[in-house]
Amino acid sequence: MGGGAAMSAGTFAKRPLLSRHLLDKAAVWIVLFILLIAAGFVSEAFLKLNYLGNLVRQAAPIGITAVGVTFVMILRGVDLSVGAIVSMSAVICALVMDGKAENLWLAIGVTCATGSLIGLANGLLIAYGRVSSFILTLGMSIVVYGLVQMGTGGTARGIVSPGFREFLNDRIGNVVPTLAICFVIAVVVGIFVQSQTRFGRNVYLVGANPEAARLAGIPAIQTTVIAYCFSGLFAGLGGIALLARTGVSGTNPGAGMEFDVLAAVILGGTTFAGGRGGVGSTFAGVLVLFIALNLANVAGLPFAAQLTIKGIIIIAASAAHAWIGRSGGDRTE
Amino acid sequence: MNRAQLVIAFFFRLPPIVWALLLTVAFGALYNPQFRTVDNAMNVLEQSATLAFLALGQAFVIAGGLIDLSVGQLVGLVTVVACMGFEALPGWRLPVILGCLLLGAAVGMINGTLINHLRMPPLILTFGMLSVLQGCIFMLTDRSVGSSIPAIDFLAHGRIAGIPASLILVILATVIAFYCLQRSTFGWHLLAMGNNASASRKAGLNVRGLTLIAYSVSGFFAAIAGLVLAGRLGTGFPNAGSGLELDSIVAVVLGGTPLKGGRVNVVAVLAAVFFLGTVSNLLNLMQVPTFTQILIKGIIVIVAILLERPRWAAAPQ
Amino acid sequence: MTFLKSIFTATMAAIAVFVLTGPGTAQELDLTKESTYDQILEWANEPLNTSEYKKDGKLKIGVSAGYLSNAWINFTAQMIKYEASLHPEIEEIKITDAGFNPTKQAADIDDLLTSGVDAILFWPVDEKAIMPALKKAHDQGVVTINIGYNFMRDPSVTSNAYVNQWGYTEQVVDQFIDSLDGKGKIIAMLPIAGSSAAVVQLAVLKQKLEDYPDMELLSAEYGDWDRAKAKQLTENLLQRFPQIDGAFSPAGQMSMGIYEAFDEAGRLDELTLSPGDDYNGWVKLVANEGKWGSVTSGLEVGRAAVKQAVDILTGAPTTTAIVVPTRYLEPEEAKTLYEADRPDDWFKTDLPAEYLPQ
Repeated sequence: MGGGAAMSAGTFAKRPLLSRHLLDKAAVWIVLFILLIAAGFVSEAFLKLNYLGNLVRQAAPIGITAVGVTFVMILRGVDLSVGAIVSMSAVICALVMDGKAENLWLAIGVTCATGSLIGLANGLLIAYGRVSSFILTLGMSIVVYGLVQMGTGGTARGIVSPGFREFLNDRIGNVVPTLAICFVIAVVVGIFVQSQTRFGRNVYLVGANPEAARLAGIPAIQTTVIAYCFSGLFAGLGGIALLARTGVSGTNPGAGMEFDVLAAVILGGTTFAGGRGGVGSTFAGVLVLFIALNLANVAGLPFAAQLTIKGIIIIAASAAHAWIGRSGGDRTE
Repeated sequence: MNRAQLVIAFFFRLPPIVWALLLTVAFGALYNPQFRTVDNAMNVLEQSATLAFLALGQAFVIAGGLIDLSVGQLVGLVTVVACMGFEALPGWRLPVILGCLLLGAAVGMINGTLINHLRMPPLILTFGMLSVLQGCIFMLTDRSVGSSIPAIDFLAHGRIAGIPASLILVILATVIAFYCLQRSTFGWHLLAMGNNASASRKAGLNVRGLTLIAYSVSGFFAAIAGLVLAGRLGTGFPNAGSGLELDSIVAVVLGGTPLKGGRVNVVAVLAAVFFLGTVSNLLNLMQVPTFTQILIKGIIVIVAILLERPRWAAAPQ
Repeated sequence: MTFLKSIFTATMAAIAVFVLTGPGTAQELDLTKESTYDQILEWANEPLNTSEYKKDGKLKIGVSAGYLSNAWINFTAQMIKYEASLHPEIEEIKITDAGFNPTKQAADIDDLLTSGVDAILFWPVDEKAIMPALKKAHDQGVVTINIGYNFMRDPSVTSNAYVNQWGYTEQVVDQFIDSLDGKGKIIAMLPIAGSSAAVVQLAVLKQKLEDYPDMELLSAEYGDWDRAKAKQLTENLLQRFPQIDGAFSPAGQMSMGIYEAFDEAGRLDELTLSPGDDYNGWVKLVANEGKWGSVTSGLEVGRAAVKQAVDILTGAPTTTAIVVPTRYLEPEEAKTLYEADRPDDWFKTDLPAEYLPQ
């Protein structure tokens, strides 16, 4: 995954040792493996295919959203507006569906378009305004939240099309949940874009060293804008996944989701150091986060302890990646 | 230059946020009779106190090119610990207050130490700390606990000759912050670190020490904010501080501080806090629907950051 | 610097002086005891002396919502607007939303006072955390009326428009135990840990279960009113327990999350759900299933609160609180109540079209 891109990135950035580079990529997978074994000892349910399928399904809305955010974070940016976009998407999608089967594809199209549009706005403002993505996307999340509340008056409208939720909440062959497959497809698409397209390679190059990339004639602005568009688009898809999982349940179903997404991406090793990490690692990061939290749940740990665990996981994961990569010294981000 | 020219020059050199504040106040005073009462002005100043302390602390961190996302939950933790302490140890009020201030500084020190030794981005570390502190709060309590004491209530609601006690403390804190950041060697060094951390290190500055102090100050100010909030709410509400970290960053940025550090204007930061408070108050008085208010708040954040245009290293050219 | 030092010393001295004076805490109600609610209903029936609040001329009413992004509160707020439109003496109604933040709610109440309102109707984010703001309102002679499922007894709270949480939950539990024939293994899905709703719901359930030794509470979870979270928690419970006969979930969309989790696990036939409240999604589900039923959620408190405010401000005789009753609706009734063309997040009301949420 992204091997070629990282290699060429190496010609600009100080190139880490190959073994260290591999360790950086593999770390989260090793953690996932160990965690899974440990979980198996606590409850054998964790080793059942059914349960694992279930786990991936639970993770789908956050996971799909995290795919898009990964691109932004490889670029040293961050997207805090995804939680609000997820909420907006779930609300808009149900509104356009209006309980009719024939509106299904129109609704999905409109939702993806609005998600991308917010992402486009983020990207343009960040690329041309040269401003902090952290504050800008934070402001955008407040704007989007305000618009959704204004548009709905605080009551979730809309009715999903018949068949939509039934299809996505089904299990193929009675084992693998459809939503889990959607998540995996999103990850595969993400990996493809990241490793097989010019855009994907550019993201790594710009992320690794913006100045060098600019000198090398790489269209940094275009790359930035597309990355944020992607983030918006995947947040839109994440919203559709959330709608499938829970139906029309309120005007702010994605509240706080940006923090879980951020945690998962960081766990995967895509830290703000830039030019590192990738969608595959994010997939593993999402699963580690969900298994850890489920484990805490099964062990009967109170909600408070789970919050603390989540915080420690984030700090430990980031510290570990900084230690492995020895390039976490860039402190201004 | 004669005196008139000096006055004009003075006004022209005011930071943009001060202009924004003045214009908002002028607008409100012209169009809303309820806004222009002394009572209302004092209300706004009083309401802004918590955020003012928090933003002043955050200014130390951001001036040094760092960031502190944990201050919001730290405020919540101090509010809860203080009120629990006041109730559990009725004879030990002063020690409880001092203990809370120490707690704040200690959490800041932990932040600084971890950043120094784990060599990780402050954004991630303090983001993780946010979650840890939130967990600590909910381990202590999941509902409002304890109650504040008259001294703290006075700090939040009291008036001295018609002027809010909290405002006096805010001004005091601003003076101290101004002296430390803009008139002392420590401030010089901190800003130099914000400008270029690695060059400062090479020039022999104690970058680790500066980082540690900046976070301790931020934690200490957050603790003061937490005590004031305890007085305002009269009880330890576990969610009291959630979201405040972002408000404090917005205020510091609105005050013209670039997020990459290296430049700071304490008075402008304070003006930004009052600006946010005034806008919220005015929108409420003008009967602007709540959801529109939220939208306006978001737009203020975006416009502020666009106008400021700090040359943010992360954004490609 | 000496100037700074003296200010600092003075401040510390002031703090030290105030530290030595005594505290004053209001009494707290024990929400987990049935007797508390008998006491509340007794208080509610006491006559209220309205003469000190009597105003002549037009009235201004302020509303301070803890949060409006919730259908129940949203509909109650619409009820308030509608009721206000029926009273010609009310010239203005102002609504603020604190977005779950008690600090903002305190500021909102300040701002409403500045606007010169005669009464403030409020849903607290947190009862204790807005007491200082309410005290300020009370000291200025403004009527304060608490709306909702929690009763507030304090000199600063003039009156309550109240739905009896204990009574509501009793109606739910009785029906639930009845449909389980008094036996079986059950789970409980409660709202936010530590919130009074969660505390009361669990207390009622536990008290009732004492009389039914054949019923076992396997686990009590906190779903934060969130359908997605409730679904996820139930999925985990389904993995942990091979047999779950019933799920207790008295209000909100969490019931639907539980239902979906059982459905997707293929274990719907073992499930008996407790009644939920009367939002459209649940009523629709009850109508389709033909069982479980629902309990009315007392949306009329909004209208009751406005009427109470007008009574108090015009000096009419009234009691210290208005209690809005709830009642159990049979599944048969649900068939006539649900609106197929409305979303799940909706309540059937008698509001005229222009007062429905826009």
